[in-house]
Amino acid sequence: MEILKTIAKKSPIWIAYLAALLGLPLIFDSILAISIFNQMAIGIVFALSYNMLLGQGGMLSFGHAVYFGLGGFLAVHTLILIEFETVYFSIIFIPVIGGVIGLLAAIFIGSFSTRKAGTVFAMISLGIGELIAASSLIFSDFFGGEAGISGDRTYGPTFFGVDFAQNDQIYYVAAIWVFIATLFMYLFTQTPAGRMANAVRDNPERAEFIGYSSRRIRFISFCASGLFAGIAGGLFALNYEFITEENLNAATSGRVLLMAYIGGLGYFIGPIIGAVVLTLMNSLLSNYTELWMLYLGIMFLLTVIYLPRGFAGFIMMHQVAWINNRLRSLAIPYLLIGLPSLVLLAGIIAMVEMSDHEGEAFHYLGFELDPESFITWAIVAGFSLAAYAGVRAALPQLKEAWESANAVPDSKDSKS
Amino acid sequence: MSILTLNNISKSFGETEIIRGIDLAIEDGEKHAIIGPNGAGKSTLFHLISGLHNVTGGSIVFKNQEIQNRPPFEISRLGLARSFQVTNIFHRMSVFENVRCALLWSKGFRYSFWHLLGRQSELNDAAMHVLEEIGLSDQAQYPAGELAYAAQRALELGIAIASGADLIMLDEPVAGMSISEAENAVELIRKVTSGKTLIMVEHDMNIVFDIADRISVLVYGKIIATDVPEKIRANPQVQEAYLGEVASSA
Amino acid sequence: MLEVFVFATLNGLVTGLLLFMLASGLTLIFSMMGVLNFAHASFYMLGAYFAYSISLKTGFWAGLILAPLLVGVLGAMVERYGLRRVHQSGHVAELVFTFGLAFLIDEAVQFFWGADTKNYRSPEILDFPLFTMFGQEFPAYRGFMIGISVLIFIGLYYVLTRSRVGIIIQAAITHPNTVANLGHNVPLIFMGVFGVGTALAGLAGVIAGPVLTTFPGMALVLGSIVFVIVVIGGLGSLPGALIASLLVGLLQSYAIASDVGMPELLELLGISFDRNHPLNDLWTLSLPQIAPILPYLLLVLVLIFRPAGLLGKREE
Repeated sequence: MEILKTIAKKSPIWIAYLAALLGLPLIFDSILAISIFNQMAIGIVFALSYNMLLGQGGMLSFGHAVYFGLGGFLAVHTLILIEFETVYFSIIFIPVIGGVIGLLAAIFIGSFSTRKAGTVFAMISLGIGELIAASSLIFSDFFGGEAGISGDRTYGPTFFGVDFAQNDQIYYVAAIWVFIATLFMYLFTQTPAGRMANAVRDNPERAEFIGYSSRRIRFISFCASGLFAGIAGGLFALNYEFITEENLNAATSGRVLLMAYIGGLGYFIGPIIGAVVLTLMNSLLSNYTELWMLYLGIMFLLTVIYLPRGFAGFIMMHQVAWINNRLRSLAIPYLLIGLPSLVLLAGIIAMVEMSDHEGEAFHYLGFELDPESFITWAIVAGFSLAAYAGVRAALPQLKEAWESANAVPDSKDSKS
Repeated sequence: MSILTLNNISKSFGETEIIRGIDLAIEDGEKHAIIGPNGAGKSTLFHLISGLHNVTGGSIVFKNQEIQNRPPFEISRLGLARSFQVTNIFHRMSVFENVRCALLWSKGFRYSFWHLLGRQSELNDAAMHVLEEIGLSDQAQYPAGELAYAAQRALELGIAIASGADLIMLDEPVAGMSISEAENAVELIRKVTSGKTLIMVEHDMNIVFDIADRISVLVYGKIIATDVPEKIRANPQVQEAYLGEVASSA
Repeated sequence: MLEVFVFATLNGLVTGLLLFMLASGLTLIFSMMGVLNFAHASFYMLGAYFAYSISLKTGFWAGLILAPLLVGVLGAMVERYGLRRVHQSGHVAELVFTFGLAFLIDEAVQFFWGADTKNYRSPEILDFPLFTMFGQEFPAYRGFMIGISVLIFIGLYYVLTRSRVGIIIQAAITHPNTVANLGHNVPLIFMGVFGVGTALAGLAGVIAGPVLTTFPGMALVLGSIVFVIVVIGGLGSLPGALIASLLVGLLQSYAIASDVGMPELLELLGISFDRNHPLNDLWTLSLPQIAPILPYLLLVLVLIFRPAGLLGKREE
């Protein structure tokens, strides 16, 4: 009952979310699009679970893929068990298995690793992550060695006649799970444990002085995030019907960190944005350029330096201006700086691509660029410089507008 | 009735003795100020009582229970709250959330992950009430870190008193404030601590003599005098150690 | 048996000293600035690649001098223009920054040099066996590696404990504000230490490149191990880092060299399992197999039972 009333407050958003999740494959129905949506779904749950740790709880983990991977491995094994009818239930419940395993693993590992946050926690998470990833190669009976293990999701009881052989069928299962997982992760943030997680993140010392053991709060966040990471692993297993050691290792842990960070830590919607953006970059950009990972790396680094709160953080930075009703005053300064920035970006990318293409002409944004031609280089460089000058020129105006839009009124005096 | 008793408390960091044998009994409901020169150990004393540091010797009894060497969260649950000299709030959460979190344990929510806070009207009303008392109800939605300094100090106080603790310890509550801000803060302190026990570390003598029922003077880790303000003012040892020329005119 | 032991010890020494060259820079940076430089192994990789490119033009020895300098300058620039800005966002942001830096350097190396393994060779002068024992040769180049490492450490020790700069650095590690108040330019010191730390990593890359192969994955191979070492030895302790480096180097060397495993242990106990037992993987485990995970096992154990590491101070 309480759940319904809480959602009801923001129900337009939730309804829109559900509609988007269910409706997207109706608008974009190509095989590629469905595959991308499936990846996004997995990424959203995984990144949201990571944010419970880092954004909400302030715990930087380099080994979060463990819970994702373990959930996935158990999920695939369960698919195999269903196939041989050792157990028999609909595969739509597979993510539950993933979640349970993720939770159990998190309870075990969290029992000794949540004593402190900060660097020690990060190092333990790295060590555990590497340990488990390396062990998975050793225990090849369970983990399948380098080749991993695979299963088949078309077994088990059908769901209203659907056997989930097709990707769009499994997408709807994923979409419902994403909605449920998002909902519960959101509701967690509205509970005492969730709020205290924020408090412990901001000031673990002070949290103790209002009656809470920081360690216990961290442990709860840790277990919850393991649970949902395991669910994401289960979704992965359902989608790909295949899982390897790679899905437990440091690279996967790094990827979810990237997703959450770029999207924006500490804001609930951040990881959703991050998962969407990164999945798009991964699937679409990689078709256009070999260098997309390089761009990703640069973008990540720039985000850390200039936009430490990510895309969501950038949006939420305007919160005070919104409260002050001064948002409109920022529109023109943003435009004046935005246009030259885009040109500058396009120019730099053009130059990088030209260096990479080693003499061959190629298409870029509707133009044909020839790396051998001095004129091409001169034009691109010229535009870039001009754009840079434009950005520098527009900066002071933006600063001024920003400061005036963000003034906090003084507190009222309290008279006794 | 003594709500807090310190029995021969001592504290050393390695070779350095900071607190060297302190005995003190704070009466229930009294307003007690602790003064002393810089480096005397006032903040350390607070840290020992509130559980941030372990004692090297002696015992601390709060409401008939020994609290020395217990973790801060246990001590806080017994009804002891403190504020900090350097503002120590939850800077990324809103002002309202800061106060609401401070209320959670005393309202019995513990580590619940099944209560939805938006629906807890009693809790939310109590939080708004605290905000009104400290004069920050207009700024409830602002991130706490964005507030002006004096407002943050008021929030600092609000977090300390929100849980309804019986013993409130304030560490230099008006540090860094202008005269008018300090006056307002003192009024606020008086208001929110009425009926409760207050221990306050403070340097401003006017405030101390205004609020305190009794004063303890801490010098080099020992209390050299505990008495009512007039007697402290006249005490020659205190004058020599701390007050200097100012008191000789009294 | 003895020759296995001797050579394993020597190889372990080579590895251990190399690891310490990396770990010492990392420790210096951490002690000074409180940031664990995730990209440290990436600077090591850059050292190898720079030296490789230089050696193509002017031979190994020019690379030995120039490459670490280049890496050090790059490191100083990273500190000045990247890390310093991120510093105000807190430790987590710093860690994430260095993590992103590692990722970026990885990609950049592939962009500039390609994804293949480079033929970076040790100089021909050192291409002879230093000595032969029990029929096995010990290459002079490895002896050279040991020699350079030891020289660097002696130099580091003297600079830190006897020179004026070293004393200032030691002070700035624990009391940066006081040092600043004494008139020293603490940001400059930070930049210098970061530069020197990364230069050390680069130097390690220069001498290790020919032996451990120069390829884009070389940062990953050593990266985690170096963190493990620094944490085991105790964050912020140079002697601890030395002990831990040697420990890990020797441990891995012995584990790889020995042919002992679970089967031998079980035989000793008189137990045997048939090949289809579900835990077969566990029973057939051999020491060389688990050699790669030994450091991590050690890390987790140390962090649980002695979070401060072997010689580290308690975290404030």
